[in-house]
Amino acid sequence: MTAIKNGVAGFFAALGSFFGSFFNAIARGDAFVKLSLIIWGAGYFKRKQYVKALLMTLLEVGVILFSVFFAMQYVPKFGTLGTVQMEQVLNMQTMQMEFNDFDNSFLILLFSLFSFVVWAVAIVVWMRNVVNAYALQQAAEAGEHINSFKEDLRTFIGEKFHVTLLSLPVLGIVVFTVVPILLLIFVAFTNYDQQHMPPNALFTWVGLNNFKSLFSSGGMTVTFGYAFVRVLGWTLVWSFFATLTTYFGGILMSLLLNSKKTRVPKLWRLLLVITIAVPQFVSLLLVRNFFSNGGIVNTICANIGLTGFLRDVGLISTSYIPFLTAPGWAHVMIILINIWIGVPYQMLIATGVLMNLPTDQLESARVDGANKFQTFRYITMPYLLQVTAPTLVTDFVKNINNFNVIYLLTDGVYTTTNQLMANSQAKEVDLLVTWLFNLTQNYYNYKMAAVIGIMVFIVCAVFTLIAFNFVIGGDKEGTYQ
Amino acid sequence: MKSKKALGIFSHNLLIAVLCVIWLIPIVWLLCMSFSSSPSMNTSTFFPKEWSLTFYQKLFQPDTVNQFPMWFMNTFKIAVATCIISTCFVLMVAYATSFGKFKARKPLMNVAVILNLFPGVLTMIAVYFTLRTFGLTNSHIGLTLVYSASSGLGYLICKGFFDTVPRALCEAARLDGCSEARIFAQIIIPTSKPIIVYTIINSFLAPWMDFVYAKMILNAGISEKYTVAVGLYKMLDKSLINNYFTIFCCGGILVSIPIAVLFFIMQKFYVEGITAGAVKG
Repeated sequence: MTAIKNGVAGFFAALGSFFGSFFNAIARGDAFVKLSLIIWGAGYFKRKQYVKALLMTLLEVGVILFSVFFAMQYVPKFGTLGTVQMEQVLNMQTMQMEFNDFDNSFLILLFSLFSFVVWAVAIVVWMRNVVNAYALQQAAEAGEHINSFKEDLRTFIGEKFHVTLLSLPVLGIVVFTVVPILLLIFVAFTNYDQQHMPPNALFTWVGLNNFKSLFSSGGMTVTFGYAFVRVLGWTLVWSFFATLTTYFGGILMSLLLNSKKTRVPKLWRLLLVITIAVPQFVSLLLVRNFFSNGGIVNTICANIGLTGFLRDVGLISTSYIPFLTAPGWAHVMIILINIWIGVPYQMLIATGVLMNLPTDQLESARVDGANKFQTFRYITMPYLLQVTAPTLVTDFVKNINNFNVIYLLTDGVYTTTNQLMANSQAKEVDLLVTWLFNLTQNYYNYKMAAVIGIMVFIVCAVFTLIAFNFVIGGDKEGTYQ
Repeated sequence: MKSKKALGIFSHNLLIAVLCVIWLIPIVWLLCMSFSSSPSMNTSTFFPKEWSLTFYQKLFQPDTVNQFPMWFMNTFKIAVATCIISTCFVLMVAYATSFGKFKARKPLMNVAVILNLFPGVLTMIAVYFTLRTFGLTNSHIGLTLVYSASSGLGYLICKGFFDTVPRALCEAARLDGCSEARIFAQIIIPTSKPIIVYTIINSFLAPWMDFVYAKMILNAGISEKYTVAVGLYKMLDKSLINNYFTIFCCGGILVSIPIAVLFFIMQKFYVEGITAGAVKG
């Protein structure tokens, strides 16, 4: 756990030094530095950096205008998420029905959040600004050169080039990843669902109620707890088997193909890789019809008598084999089909690793008189496992979120017969992510989807932290430079 | 002894051949079905009773359900836009995190690790709300933004490559008075062709391969706006599958060919990139 500890300690140390330099600047700065607490450009103005002073002051005005005219419409209502329900009222002047000035809970939540992010950034800029003003004062007192505006601009392709590079991508990540994640976390504490859909209805804060209903399973109506345990269980079982089967399948296949006995290995590899070169929405949708109840595989099985045999044994009670429509059968089939999709991919990775096998070790083993099996057992295998082991954990996490395989194979095909599962819109073959997707797409149950989303994050985070600390073992970045 | 060895080689290759056949059965079936002369799925025999090209022609005659040429163009446009934005973002982030020496570098990278833990589908829901607020759902701009805006987070493989570029190169340029921007544009980019090709193909393929995001953003829209993935998926709806299964197969084949070609080009870089990423953590 040292990596995390260092990370946390480093974070607080950095935070501490940032605040330290801020208060230091206020205490020791001259009047203009102190003035730049109120007028952002003051410090720069004193040092004759007029353009910069103007820009900073304009930025300040922008933030104030944003706060007054935009944020103030939404943030004061953040505590209640709105109180005025949408209604149609008769406008006496035009004699027409019009909507009242109603509150939209979702917009209040979204724009409040947006305002918080803007303010957080503004506060950091404000503090940095004072620190910079003080640094300028010190430079001026020491008689050092003060950058002109042109020189300041030039630093953005010089020592501050990383700022230029990172600003746009980071903006994209903040708007399309960070704000949505925050939004989702907030939604988990509201009652945003089909009965509370803006703009027609309001939703509001409900505290931990959604989490309670996820962990309790009382009666026939509240079955989220019941479904959650089963879906989580299958998610973990699926990830475990999907990861292990494709990992070892891929290694075995690459060893098979890389053997000296193999003729035309490139052709074989090409043929196997075709499976993953075809997009999954084609290959998986096709396989799902391949194995459908009235599909070709079922016809063949019936013709060769397999269906009859299975019925006699008691494994099925239908006139067809329910490959993807009955629990148990579907679970096994999904894992098998995933082997079909996943093994070529792992084979490619393992092949890449095998090609980089250090030849000097193989050579010295040969000189020492090791036979083929010993070389394989003591050099090839350990090397392969050591290099690829970290991917086991990342693959496990990826499989927890392996939406495509489950959704494309079972959506619209598999219907659950378990009423308790159906009550919470879950199926036996659902992963947490497909359940979450269905809840939002078909049932508009955003509050529970958000709670499940947080659970998915926690599960993934736990496994990744384990991976980081035990398998990868800290940061190796430096050793490659 | 010699014949025994030959037998070993034969059985070894036979095993591989059997595996290949198993792996290819569904793909061969897709190909066979696309030449079928009936619109619905053939459930009695593996090969179609009559071979014909009828449904390849039908694929290019748009009707209320099938808009394949349109879908193909839509996906292509989105893929090109995504490719340009994503490639720039990934290279920029990778360069800054690999070559930059600023205090926030490590904390930023740690934040990226945490953000990558949230499954894409999860943030997708909240992104969907946000896009809907701005009227960007059922639009290609919205979908392009979804694909490319956060692409900076996928910088690790590229950074892994940049980490191996000798630092002496930059030091020499810096001594000659070269600005950081010029080092990036004129020294690092030209020496990093493999990883750039990899990044370009990778980000171009993402919209072609993706299904979830397209379904989420374009689901409620009209057929003409779909991407190939959503369009083909809708063809297999219970009410449509009997009339459109063969057309689905034709569309599947036609869209797979360019993707497969690009995929094979990328494969070489792919293996190198992934293993490099794996080694460097």
